[in-house]
Amino acid sequence: MVMAITIGYIAGLILLVIGATLAYFNPRLSVIPVLISIIAIAVTSMSFTGFAVFIFVIALMNLLSLNLMKGNQIRGVDYAIVGLIGIATFFIFTASDVSLIIASFVLVSTPTYILVLISEGRLKVDPGMKYIVFMVLATLLFIIGALILVFNVNSPSRHLYIVGYTLMILGMSLEIGAAPLHEWVPDVFSSADPVPVSIIASITKIVPVVAVYRILLLTSTPFMKEAGIIAIAIGVISMFAGNIGALTTSDLRKVLAYSSIANMGYILPTVALVAFPEYFPMALAGALLQLVMNAVGKIGFFSGIKSGGIMRQMGYYMSLSFIGLPPLLGFWGKLFIVLSLVYAGYVWVAVLLVLNSSISIPYYLRVARDLGVEGRKNLVNAIVLIAVLVISVTFYPPGWFIGVANKIYVMMISGGV
Amino acid sequence: MISLAILFLAPIIAGIPVAVAWGHRPESDLARKLPVISVIGLFISLVVSLYLFFSYPEPERVVIQWIPGLNINFSFIFDYLSTRMGVLTALIAFLIGVYGLEYMKHDYRMGWYWFFFNMFTSSMLLVVYSDNLLMLLIGWEGLGLASWGLIGHWFRDDDELSYVGIMDRFVGPLKMFWSPSTGGWRAISTIRFGDMPMFFAVAAIFALTGSLDISQIDWGGLFAKIGTAGTIVLLFTFLMGPFTKSAQLPFSEWLMTAMTGPTTVSALLHSATMVAAGTYLFMRLSIYIGPWAHHSAGLAIIYILVLFLGLISSLYGALVALSSLERKVILAASTMSSLGLMFATTASSYWLGEIAVMIAFWYLVVHAFAKATLFLVAGHLIHVTETRFCSGNLEFGKKIIAGFGATVLATISLAGIPPFTAYWVKSGMDELMHGLHEVFGLAPFALLVTTSLVYSGFLAKFLSLNFIKGEKPHEMHLHGGKVMSLAYAVMVSMLIYLLYVILSGGSHLMEELVSAGYDKTSITVGVLVLVAYVITLIDPREKAFSRIAGIFGDRLYLSALNDYIVPGIGKVLIAFVDLCNSVIDFFFHRLIPDVFGAISGGIRRIQKGYLTTYLKLVVGVFLAVVFIAVLMGW
Repeated sequence: MVMAITIGYIAGLILLVIGATLAYFNPRLSVIPVLISIIAIAVTSMSFTGFAVFIFVIALMNLLSLNLMKGNQIRGVDYAIVGLIGIATFFIFTASDVSLIIASFVLVSTPTYILVLISEGRLKVDPGMKYIVFMVLATLLFIIGALILVFNVNSPSRHLYIVGYTLMILGMSLEIGAAPLHEWVPDVFSSADPVPVSIIASITKIVPVVAVYRILLLTSTPFMKEAGIIAIAIGVISMFAGNIGALTTSDLRKVLAYSSIANMGYILPTVALVAFPEYFPMALAGALLQLVMNAVGKIGFFSGIKSGGIMRQMGYYMSLSFIGLPPLLGFWGKLFIVLSLVYAGYVWVAVLLVLNSSISIPYYLRVARDLGVEGRKNLVNAIVLIAVLVISVTFYPPGWFIGVANKIYVMMISGGV
Repeated sequence: MISLAILFLAPIIAGIPVAVAWGHRPESDLARKLPVISVIGLFISLVVSLYLFFSYPEPERVVIQWIPGLNINFSFIFDYLSTRMGVLTALIAFLIGVYGLEYMKHDYRMGWYWFFFNMFTSSMLLVVYSDNLLMLLIGWEGLGLASWGLIGHWFRDDDELSYVGIMDRFVGPLKMFWSPSTGGWRAISTIRFGDMPMFFAVAAIFALTGSLDISQIDWGGLFAKIGTAGTIVLLFTFLMGPFTKSAQLPFSEWLMTAMTGPTTVSALLHSATMVAAGTYLFMRLSIYIGPWAHHSAGLAIIYILVLFLGLISSLYGALVALSSLERKVILAASTMSSLGLMFATTASSYWLGEIAVMIAFWYLVVHAFAKATLFLVAGHLIHVTETRFCSGNLEFGKKIIAGFGATVLATISLAGIPPFTAYWVKSGMDELMHGLHEVFGLAPFALLVTTSLVYSGFLAKFLSLNFIKGEKPHEMHLHGGKVMSLAYAVMVSMLIYLLYVILSGGSHLMEELVSAGYDKTSITVGVLVLVAYVITLIDPREKAFSRIAGIFGDRLYLSALNDYIVPGIGKVLIAFVDLCNSVIDFFFHRLIPDVFGAISGGIRRIQKGYLTTYLKLVVGVFLAVVFIAVLMGW
C-alpha cells in the first residue's frame, strides 16, 4: 500500500514534468497531464476521501481560473505549478515523518514565488519582492521552530518547547498572513494579478495549517496546553485586525485581503486545541471546512475581480456563506470551531469569534453588491458555480465530516519523528 | 371535539369578514351590512353551548393531547358551573350583538368593533370551559386584549359623549375626566399588573405538581408540600389576576373609566365576560380545591382576606354608585359592588361548604341579566338624550316605555325586593353571612345588609333620575330604537324565567334558596331593602348628604393611584431607562465607533507599501512575541 502510494506520487511528479515540457509546444495541451496527475493522486488518497474531494475541487478551480488570464510569461507551466501545489497538499496528509512534512510545506510555498510575479503584461516585481521576502522569512522560522520541537522530544524542556512552538506559529502566521504579521497581504492582494492572488489565497493556506497540526501532534509534550495561548492570541488579534480593516476599506481587493486575515484568525485558535485529543477532531473538521470555504470563496471573488464581475445572486450566496448563514458551508466551519472551543473551555474565544462574524456582515454584502453583474454564461461564472455547489454541500448537515476528521486525525498521529 | 372547535372559532371567524371589508374600504355599504355575519357567529356559539348544556348532565372532562411529554393538554370540563356559565355568556353576547347592530350602525370603526367584540366572546368561552390553566390563560389574555381594543374603541377622543367625568375638572393635581384612549390604557395596564403575578403562580403550580388541570391537581398535597407561607404566597399571587380583572379594591378604577367604550361593550364586560371571569375563576378554583375539606392555616388566611376584601369592595362600590350622576358610572360601580359580594360569598365556602359557591354563582347569573339590561337601557337613553348624565322626567319616561319597563323590572329584580328574583339568592347570602357569626361575629352580615340597602338605593335612584324625577332632557331623538328595545326586553324577561326556575324548586339548591327566603331574618332584610328603594325613588337627591356624596362621587380619589402614584413610579422608571439608554448610546455611538476608527486608522497606517517598514515591523513583533514566550517559559 505504502509502495503503491509512493509510486503514485512519483508518477504524478513525472506527469507534471511532462505537462511543463508540453508547454513549449502547446500551452493548452499541458493541462491534460496535470489533470491526470491530480486525479490519480486524489484517487489514491482514499483514506481521507471526504476531504480529498474538496482539495481536488479547489485545485480544479485554480486550474480553471488560470484560463482567465490572456496569456502570461509562463503560459502552460503555470498549470504544472498549480498541480505541484495540489499534489503537495495531498501529500501533507500521508507524509510519514517530520522531514517530509517540512518538504511539503516548502513544496507549497516555493512555487508561489513564481506565480506571484506573473501577469498579462510586465512582471509584477514590487508585490513579488514583498511576497518572496515574507515567505522566505516564514519558511525559515517555521523550519527552525519545527526543528527545535523535534529536538526537544527526547529530553523535554518547557523553556525550549515554548520557544520552538512560538517560532513555528510565527512562521505559519507569516506564511498564511495572520495579524500582526500580515503586512504583505493587503499589498500583494491589491497589486499582483488577481488570478495568482486567488491561488495564493486559496489552496496554499491548507498545507501550513495542517503541517503545524502534524508537527505538534508528533512532538507533543505536556507543555502544549499552556503554549496554546500564543496561537489563540495571534488568532484573536488577526480576527479583529482583519474584520475591522475590511470594514473600513473601500478597495475590493483589500477588503478580500483583510477577509483572508480574519479567516486565518478564525482558524488559528484550533491550533491550541491540538492539546485536547477529545475535542481536536471537531476543531480539525471546523478548520478544514473553514479553509475550504475561504478557498472557494476567494477563488470566486478574485476571478470576479479579474473579469469584471460575477452573477449577482451567486455573489450574495458566497457572501452569506462567508458570514456564516446556516446551512451553508461557512456556517458549519465556524460552528465546529466554536463548539470545540467551548468544550475545551475557551468560551471567551468562541464569543469573540461570533462577535467577529457579526462585524463581517456589512463588508461581505458590500463585496457581493460591488462585484454583482447580470448573469452570463462564461468561464468566471462557471468557476463561481462550482464554488456555489461546494458551499451547498452542507444542506445535508455535515456530521459525517467529523468522521472524516477523525480518520485524518488517526492518520496524523501515526508516523514518527 | 368538533362542537368545541365551532364554539370557540365561530365568533372569531364570523368577525373576520367585517374586519377585512372595513379595513379594505372603510364606510362602504357592503362593510356596513357584514356585522350580521358576526352576530350569526355569536348565535352559532349559543346553539353549541346549549347543546353542550344538555349533553353533559353529569360532570365530565374532555382531554385532547397537545404536548403529552409535558402533560400539557387541551382539557375541557363540563360541570355544573361551566355548562351554565357557557350558555349565559353566549346568550348575553348574542343579545348584545343584536342590540349592537342598531347601536353601532353609524360607527366609524365597525371592523375593529365587531372583530374585538367576537374575540371577547370567544375568549370568555375559552375561559369558561377550560380545565387547563395554560389554555385558560390564553382566553384570559384574549379578554385583556379585546377589552383594551373595545374600551379604547373611540380612539379619536373627539366626542364628549364617550368620556367619563366632567370635562376640564381638576381636583388638585388630579384630572377628573378620562378619554376613551386613557380608559383603554387604564384597563390593560391594571389587568397586566395582576396577570404578571398570576403567570408566575401558574408556573409555580406546574413546577410543583406537574399538572395544569384544575380538576386533577392534588391541591391538598400541594398545600401540605409548600406549607402555610407558601400557600399564602401562591394563592395570593394567583388571585391577583382575578382581583384586578374583577376590579376589587384597590384595582377598581379601570372599571369606572371602562365606561368610555361603547355601551354594548360595557354591557358585555359587566355581565357575563371579563369581570365575571375573575369571580368565575375563583368559584371554579374553590370547587376543586374544596377548602371546606382542608384545615390549612394558609388557606384560611386567604379565604378570610377574600371575604373581607369582597365585602369592603362591595360597600365601596355601592356608595360610589349612590353618589354618582353619570348613568354608566352608576352601573359600573354597582358591578364592582356585586362582584365583591360574589367574592365574599364564594370565600365563605371555607366555613360553610360548597353551597356557598353555588349561591355565589346564582347571584352571578341573576346579576348578569339584570346588569346587561340596565346597560342596554342606558345606552339607548344616551342615544336618545345625547348626554351621559342622568336626566329624564315622567313625561320622557312615557315616551320610552319599553326602557322604563325594563328598568323597573331589572332594578326590583336585582335589588332583592321580595319576591323578585334576586331576593331568593340574596336570602341565601344573608343566611351564609349570618352563618359566619361564630367565626367573625356579625360583621360580615352587617356589611352585607348595609351594602344591600345602599345597593337598593342607587338602583331606585337610577330609575328615578332617568325616568321619573330627573330634569327634562335637552334633546330627544326618539326615532328608531326598535332592535335595541327588543334586545333588552328579551334580556330582562330572562329574569322572570330565572324566578320561575328558582321557585319551581327541582334541585336541592333551589329548595335551600326558597326556604332561606321564608326565613325571618331574610324577610326583615327584604322589607328594609324595599323601604330603601321606595325612599330613594321618592327623593333621589337628598341635599343633606351632598358633601359626602361629592367625595364618594369622586370615588374617594382612588384615581390618584392610577393617574398619579403609578405614573410617578413609571416616571422614575423612565428616568432610569433613559439613563441606561444614554449609556448604551454612548457605548454604541461614541465608544465603539471611536475605537473602531482608531484601530482601522492604525491598520491602514501600517500599510505604507515600503518593504523595509514591513520588515522592521515584523522583526519588532517577532522579538516581542519571542520575548513573551521566553518569559512564559521561565
